[in-house]
Amino acid sequence: MKNTIRILICFYCLVLAAPVTAAEPRPVRHPDSLTYKPLRFNPPQARRHTLDNGIILYVLEDHELPLVNISAVFRSGSVHDPAAKAGLAELTHRIMRTGGTQSLSGDDLDDLLAFHGISLNFSAEMDMGLANLSVLKQDLALGLDVFSQILRQPRFAQDKLQLAKDLHIEGLRGILDDPPKYAFREFRKLLYRDNPRGMLSSQISVKNIQRSDLVDFHRRFFHPGNVMLAITGDVTLAEALRLAGRYLGDWQASGRPEMIQPPAGQENGTIHYLYKAIPQSVIVSGQLAPSKRDQDFYPFTILDFILGGGGFRSRIFQEVRSNRGLAYSTGSFYKARQDYGAFGAYAMTKSSSTVAVVTLISDIMTDVKERGVTQEELSWAKKSINNSFIFSFQDTDQIASQQMMLEYDRLPQDFLMKYPQQIDRVTAEALHQTANRYLNRERAVTLILGDEKAFDKPPSSLGKVIRIEGDL
Amino acid sequence: MIRKPHIFIPVVLLVFLLQPLSAAENDLESRVLKFTLNNGIRVLLLERHLSPTVSLYIRQRTGAVDEISGKTGTAHLLEHMMFKGTTTIGTRNDAMEREILQKIKEAGRQLDLERRKADGADAKTLETLQAKLKALQEEHKQWMIPNELDRIYTENGAEEMNASTGQDLTTYHVSLPSNKVELWARIESDRLQNPVFREFYTERDVIMEERRQRIETNPAGKLAEQFFATAFRAHPYGRPILGWPSDMRFLSMDDVSAFFHQARAPRHTVISVVGDINPEETLSIIRKYFESIPARKTAPPVINGEPPLSDERRVEVSFDAKPQLMIGYHKPPPPAQDDYTFDVIEAILSKGRTSRFYRKLVEEMKIAESVATANGTPGARYPNLFAIFATPRRPHACRELEQAIEAELERLKREPVPEQELQKIKNQLKADFIRSLNSNNGLASMLSYYETLLGDYRYLTNYIKIIDKITSDEIMQAAQKYLRNENRAVATLVSSRTPSEQSGQPAGSKMGK
Repeated sequence: MKNTIRILICFYCLVLAAPVTAAEPRPVRHPDSLTYKPLRFNPPQARRHTLDNGIILYVLEDHELPLVNISAVFRSGSVHDPAAKAGLAELTHRIMRTGGTQSLSGDDLDDLLAFHGISLNFSAEMDMGLANLSVLKQDLALGLDVFSQILRQPRFAQDKLQLAKDLHIEGLRGILDDPPKYAFREFRKLLYRDNPRGMLSSQISVKNIQRSDLVDFHRRFFHPGNVMLAITGDVTLAEALRLAGRYLGDWQASGRPEMIQPPAGQENGTIHYLYKAIPQSVIVSGQLAPSKRDQDFYPFTILDFILGGGGFRSRIFQEVRSNRGLAYSTGSFYKARQDYGAFGAYAMTKSSSTVAVVTLISDIMTDVKERGVTQEELSWAKKSINNSFIFSFQDTDQIASQQMMLEYDRLPQDFLMKYPQQIDRVTAEALHQTANRYLNRERAVTLILGDEKAFDKPPSSLGKVIRIEGDL
Repeated sequence: MIRKPHIFIPVVLLVFLLQPLSAAENDLESRVLKFTLNNGIRVLLLERHLSPTVSLYIRQRTGAVDEISGKTGTAHLLEHMMFKGTTTIGTRNDAMEREILQKIKEAGRQLDLERRKADGADAKTLETLQAKLKALQEEHKQWMIPNELDRIYTENGAEEMNASTGQDLTTYHVSLPSNKVELWARIESDRLQNPVFREFYTERDVIMEERRQRIETNPAGKLAEQFFATAFRAHPYGRPILGWPSDMRFLSMDDVSAFFHQARAPRHTVISVVGDINPEETLSIIRKYFESIPARKTAPPVINGEPPLSDERRVEVSFDAKPQLMIGYHKPPPPAQDDYTFDVIEAILSKGRTSRFYRKLVEEMKIAESVATANGTPGARYPNLFAIFATPRRPHACRELEQAIEAELERLKREPVPEQELQKIKNQLKADFIRSLNSNNGLASMLSYYETLLGDYRYLTNYIKIIDKITSDEIMQAAQKYLRNENRAVATLVSSRTPSEQSGQPAGSKMGK
């Protein structure tokens, strides 16, 4: 409070003493000629601890608000779904949360958490399981107690499982009504063919899932060695360790982390066409891309930025949208994990410009392979990526979770801190080579969702076309 | 002439006088600094030093609701055009550009005149005019630098750069490394005064694609458009923000320009800056760049209210999608006490798995896939709606779900909400409120929103205090007053999908097409 007052007094002085001519016209300097003070940049670091049973904790204090946040990652994920039971990981995580524990029914548990304004979620991603607990400071012990019970003794109540299965199936039906979601789902299935990552849940696979499957999945993947937590907020390090030890320290369950091979990718190059009677097509075209461990990770990050990930100035956006007005949403994405990566370009365009846009995107890929990028583009991309790097450290949960995820991905702890340097080192030549190594048309998967009757040209004018049906 | 000291809202003093609240709320109110520039622009500053970043918002109290009839979509198109640069950003030669933009405007106007004839348009003339416009657009390219504004922001590390147009307000926001506040001030003060509408006709096409994406191929978007048009027949809240396609395709550079001049009044403009700032420096940068924008008088908008409904209004939309349902009850906007009460009602009905709608309709009756509610749509400057969005679970129909929803609303009117349930809601809202304070972007957004909308950001800092006092009697009264059939509009989406596509289930009795 004292500080605030002092600042306000300073303000008054400043305002009173300010020259009265501030409103005079001033010469206009181009924004590029502005100069800036150097940035102070010294993000706090979370402290790492291991409980006796192997649970790994990252703790970072932050006393601005009376809140504590716990982000958890589990070595599980939908990649471990059995083929005939796709959807199992998701349902297991969900019913752990909704199905109650040995001592509390699902409804009682929900009531208890809601009354205290506690937010607690479990979800399964492709390559991991996640949970998040957010509590007011005074409810930390309560929150951790419930969280611990869910991890250790989920009840998997049959009625909650049935409800979740029914709602999941209802959700699958809804995907048909959401063209981008529908298209990206089919794209993912094609990109990861012959890998568990490409096996997505369907009405049939979800109907196959029984309570005993959830119990097994839980037993396989939920044990202390598979759990990491990031605890941040209004709690001291000592208190965080004490509470984590009290509620999770005596958890004894054994198991080993299970790894699944990364997707291999395969010869491809065909156009996949999926029919839907809509006036705007969804186009997705992409391929497997470098992993985070790969030397090509940094050049590919820049390549994606220049192609379509870097906003308005990126090539795809500029050509498809700004220059031709052919899409509102268009660009590219690159998502890398520790053992594989995926890249894709996308656009949503009216039926009558569908083939034109597929061609345009393909030409942009060809051009970057043939001619590389300009020094100007390279410099723009590097500055952009490195100047926004500090946004990786905006709050303590983000910082601690990031450190935790580096360990989860078995990447070195200095991976992040070295990132700007690595980006800076990329040359135009290296980037050109990376483009040629990865952007191979023969390996690309292209999906068009739309109504070919209204296309500018038949899809077959683009090459071999395979007609697919969405299996939901 | 000595400039008058600028008036601080006496929040700092207030804090001493009031009984202490919880630390978080207390803290926020005392930490926000408010200033008014000579031209009327209001500035809110809040220091947060965890990371060397800053979130910057500019909001104008002008939105789709202020458009004139027949020109729907102008506010949104203007917002798109504001990314095309200024007289000093994005140009290779300002004078040459002015000249050619004038020609482009004229060519586009002629082309639109011909296109308006629809079937009566002359094909040959159309082709000639199109070619002429295209040639001019190509010629323009040599004098402009595309997407330069975005390039500058991005290169300087900008995140979350975006703009949005609502019924009520227009917003431009960006987050930057905290040493670059001057860059933002330079760019934003420039585009508030000197925007150049480059690539206008191409961008108009982009917006038609945006409409295809958000409305034509999106069942919820399509339904919502018809829902609002039904709920509001006299008031402009009934018009889509994106615009009606018949208006959008003929919007002109002059339309957008006229709207720009009407929209940019400093006294309708609020700036908020939250993050790692030195308030003195930040304020002096803001003064340097924004205070020279001339103050303008603004006429109060002439907008008629929606006459009281005498009967329920219904609309049915046929679409190739699962059925869904929207119900909206007319009610007053904030800061009316009843609006706060509806925030509580919203939570009672649909906040999480312990809410009434979830427990009853999703879990117990198993007739709904989801039921959500939203208090205060489609805007909050004028009387608005308490809206319910619901999706039935197969094979149940909208009608059945609608009846079950009504039964729950009846319960609200009849039975006082039990104390324990009401306390749960208050605890949840309070915890959510504290969570919402944990981001520069979120704080800058909320502070500027309430300052622009209500003229006082303290709506936010006082919010929980008011929610805490709401009684079950007030809830029952508000429910009785507003949740009446003759005060509502209902829109249902009826699946036009053929029975075979619905996996053999017979389609509902009302088939589209």
